[in-house]
Amino acid sequence: MSTNTLDRRSFIKKMAALSAMAAAATMFPGIVFPNEQERGLPQGDGNIAWKKSPCRFCGVGCGLLIGVQNGKAVAVKGDPASSVNKGLCCVKGYHSVLALYGKDRLTRPLIRRNGKLEPASMKEALDLVASKMKDTIAKHGKDSVAIYGSGQWTIPDGYVASKLMKGVIGTNNLEANARLCMSSAVTGFMTSFGMDEPMGCYEDIDHAGVFVTWGNNMAEMHPVLFSRMLDQRLRRKGVLIIDFATRTTRSSTASDRSILFKPQTDLAVANAICHEILKNNWHNRGFLQKHCVFKKGKTNIGYGLEDNFKFTDEPKDMTLAEFKAFLEDYTPEKVSKLSGVSVKDIKYLASLYGDPNKKVMSLWCMGPNQHTRGTWMNNVIYNIHLLTGKISTPGNSPFSLTGQPSACGTVREVGTLTHALPYGTVDNEHAREKAAKIWGVPVGNISPKPTYHTVEMFRALDRGDVKFIWIQTTNPMVTMPKLKRYRDGAKKEGRFVVVSDVYPTPTTDVADVVLPAAMWIEREGMFGNSERRTQHFEKMLQPQGEAKSDAWQMIEVARRMGYEKYFPWTEENHVEKIWEEYYKFHEGDKHGIAPYEVLKKEPGVQWPYVNGKSTKWRYHVKYDPAAKGDSFDFYGKPDGKAWIWARPYEAPPESPDKEYPFWLNTGRVLEHWHTGSLTRRVSVLHQAVPHSYAELHPTDASRLGVKTGDKVKLTSRRGSLVLPASVNERGLPTPGQVFVPFFDEGLLINELTLDAFCPISRQPDYKKCAVRVEKA
Amino acid sequence: MTNKKSSYFIIIICGVLLSSAVFIFFAALQESKRPAETLQQPGSETMALPTEAGVFRRWAMALKYKDMPEGGSRNLATYYANRAYHGAPPLIPHPLVSEQGIGGRTCLQCHENGGYTEQFSAFAPVTPHPEWLNCRQCHVPKKTEGLFAGSNFEKLQAPPLGQAAMPGSPPVIPHGLQNRENCLSCHAGPAAPIAIKTTHPERVNCRQCHVPAQQEAEVFERPGGELGSNW
Repeated sequence: MSTNTLDRRSFIKKMAALSAMAAAATMFPGIVFPNEQERGLPQGDGNIAWKKSPCRFCGVGCGLLIGVQNGKAVAVKGDPASSVNKGLCCVKGYHSVLALYGKDRLTRPLIRRNGKLEPASMKEALDLVASKMKDTIAKHGKDSVAIYGSGQWTIPDGYVASKLMKGVIGTNNLEANARLCMSSAVTGFMTSFGMDEPMGCYEDIDHAGVFVTWGNNMAEMHPVLFSRMLDQRLRRKGVLIIDFATRTTRSSTASDRSILFKPQTDLAVANAICHEILKNNWHNRGFLQKHCVFKKGKTNIGYGLEDNFKFTDEPKDMTLAEFKAFLEDYTPEKVSKLSGVSVKDIKYLASLYGDPNKKVMSLWCMGPNQHTRGTWMNNVIYNIHLLTGKISTPGNSPFSLTGQPSACGTVREVGTLTHALPYGTVDNEHAREKAAKIWGVPVGNISPKPTYHTVEMFRALDRGDVKFIWIQTTNPMVTMPKLKRYRDGAKKEGRFVVVSDVYPTPTTDVADVVLPAAMWIEREGMFGNSERRTQHFEKMLQPQGEAKSDAWQMIEVARRMGYEKYFPWTEENHVEKIWEEYYKFHEGDKHGIAPYEVLKKEPGVQWPYVNGKSTKWRYHVKYDPAAKGDSFDFYGKPDGKAWIWARPYEAPPESPDKEYPFWLNTGRVLEHWHTGSLTRRVSVLHQAVPHSYAELHPTDASRLGVKTGDKVKLTSRRGSLVLPASVNERGLPTPGQVFVPFFDEGLLINELTLDAFCPISRQPDYKKCAVRVEKA
Repeated sequence: MTNKKSSYFIIIICGVLLSSAVFIFFAALQESKRPAETLQQPGSETMALPTEAGVFRRWAMALKYKDMPEGGSRNLATYYANRAYHGAPPLIPHPLVSEQGIGGRTCLQCHENGGYTEQFSAFAPVTPHPEWLNCRQCHVPKKTEGLFAGSNFEKLQAPPLGQAAMPGSPPVIPHGLQNRENCLSCHAGPAAPIAIKTTHPERVNCRQCHVPAQQEAEVFERPGGELGSNW
């Protein structure tokens, strides 16, 4: 960063001084201003340095300029040089630096003694963590220890975790909270294209004529991208935004058409759209013949509600004719009955996708991903784009959004999931060999068998199969579905829980050791956003108290366990050294990443980074240096084809019934991010949304006799919760549906949710379970 | 003869100057209609000048602003108190018509052009960036005075007003211009806090005299040449 800052700053200085000089010179021609007088020039904001960083919050990855004055972050502005947000932020971004300064920051380690967390020195705490980890491995084997990380980990954090667990210790007990938000996106990409992450980028927004948002309230969850869409609609004629969702939100209000569907039936509607496209011959025949194949997988695949649930799909070939026959169950008329979407609206959606003169961008995030058929949902959206050939070109873009700043960069690209490695998967011999070579470990160290995905990892903790877990930068005691089981499990005798975080949370409440973490710009790091963009930030501030970065905490523990030779770096240079090592995993034109020096300089770089250039669109020879042939090349699959999957509608594991007649849908609000452990420490954000609430449809509310602010009691088969009702406020659920934000640790809605998951992605469905609603 | 020649010359020069001024004015007007963009290319090494887009927005209102009575209830203290730090997006200090609304149908009804609202007995402040329709993306209300946890945040303070190079010279612009390119929306009209209200809204081309003060400005030194800066 240094050279860039200096250049930039000195340039600004020169410009300012120049303009002052020029102004003065015109007033008093011929007079040269001495230095003394210039020193008196007005100073504007005062002695402040503006440094670039990606935002700490969501997966959009806005470029921020952080104002640093006297060693403290005092202000934020949007970075006009960032192509992501072009200078605009959302309220969380503008106030993000306030999240560093909550009065209750964890500044020293805590160790539980006689049931109470007591202050300890960093040395003592790290010694204890290392010895516990070592002892547990010695007594109970490698697979009894686990690390549970985060899509808010920087890339170096995730890399250290992967190397330590998979390479050095030799267990695949490494997961991250991105399992709860992005794994259906990953398995969707892998099954359809054989490579993870979007083929397109945010620039698609500047080219698309139609935006279809699938179960996605972008006005609140990805506001900067939504503003880019609104901006395009103002600038260009005929741009349409279609909101396809289960409740009416701000995004619906802003869209040109809001289409509501019954929970889970998005699968059927997507198939109906495909049905209409084929029936009307709107499909792109040439594209299909050259670049796609049809596949079917297993059906009735289950919901993972029982411990040790296993599932493996078996792809089988299909013909176009067979695919058409499969879609016969999904005529608009049949699907309309199931989904509540009118035949006219289904045909309308199909016509937008089918119109050869329209460029269509589909956007989605938690709606299709947190879905017991999440992988299928991702597949069927790709099906629509593949049938019409609307993919991998500017404005034609199925775009899977992410929710965390580095869900892509860290969890998906470094591969901090049980089955993954920084390159490839553990069950692939070639990938294991590559990792072992770069890490300098015997290849036998890396286990070829995945162990626990997140839900199963916490089940294993409950059962006692996992006895030591180190949780970093995430708050599972708020976010796990069916929370009580996992909280009780974590508190059981014989479990050792280490938590690295920046504030006290319900997760630190169950910890045996709490380690204070250096947050965001208190250390150097990189995040990777939704559009394959890697962004570097320098250390701008001193960490508070004894806080250390997650990566450095793990390195310290690894050294204490005798693994110093694998982590030979210094605290000053480890980020650069890690990057140099990590770089080797992705070399090549399919996933090449930018060198450290380039990252420091640029506002962000999109991989594949080949010959000094970012790649904006993948799988098309015009834009992607890895693509061969004369047009599209889906090189992720061995056959060079994109796979169109026949995925049927299957009912959810739990639906409203007589006893529990409401759907419960959970999610976020604009002001709070995830569990609110950061945003609630920001006065502006807390004061805007001080607590959680239960949104009800007005007819349900009047039947129950409740108005906004009255207490209602929600009860599911797992638990119950009393919270204030919200009627006709921000969101409008359909009758028979209740929506509750999950950020409030005082009102834990996940006591009620169900731990069912997609059998392919193992991502839980937080959007659908059955509850009873009563006036409390 | 010589006199005549020189007066022709002066007339021609004046003509050229006038026409270029007109050209520049209209070019600037055109510019103001162009979408907000910065001059800086991603990855470029240097920071560009602040964007000019939107500078001349509301110019047609300027004369009206001049004749409008004082009467705003806003002052600089409340203006600053309504922000987390100097430059932060202001909060919404009043009850909301709708929580579901977006831009044009709600906030902009009052905040696009301003005017008196009976409901709050006040003149509505005018937004400098009505093109951003998802207002609530950045501006949020305050529903409680309480805090979840205390804060040690030390905010960037607003700079003193009226900073000028010399007594009587035009004050500089002491704040960033990103999303606030249009001076008149905050510095003119009945909703403008008196302390920052301009006395001459009709001049419209504010940045002809008022230039941004760059916080990191230092003394200009010639990079080279026969006579360096310290001759």
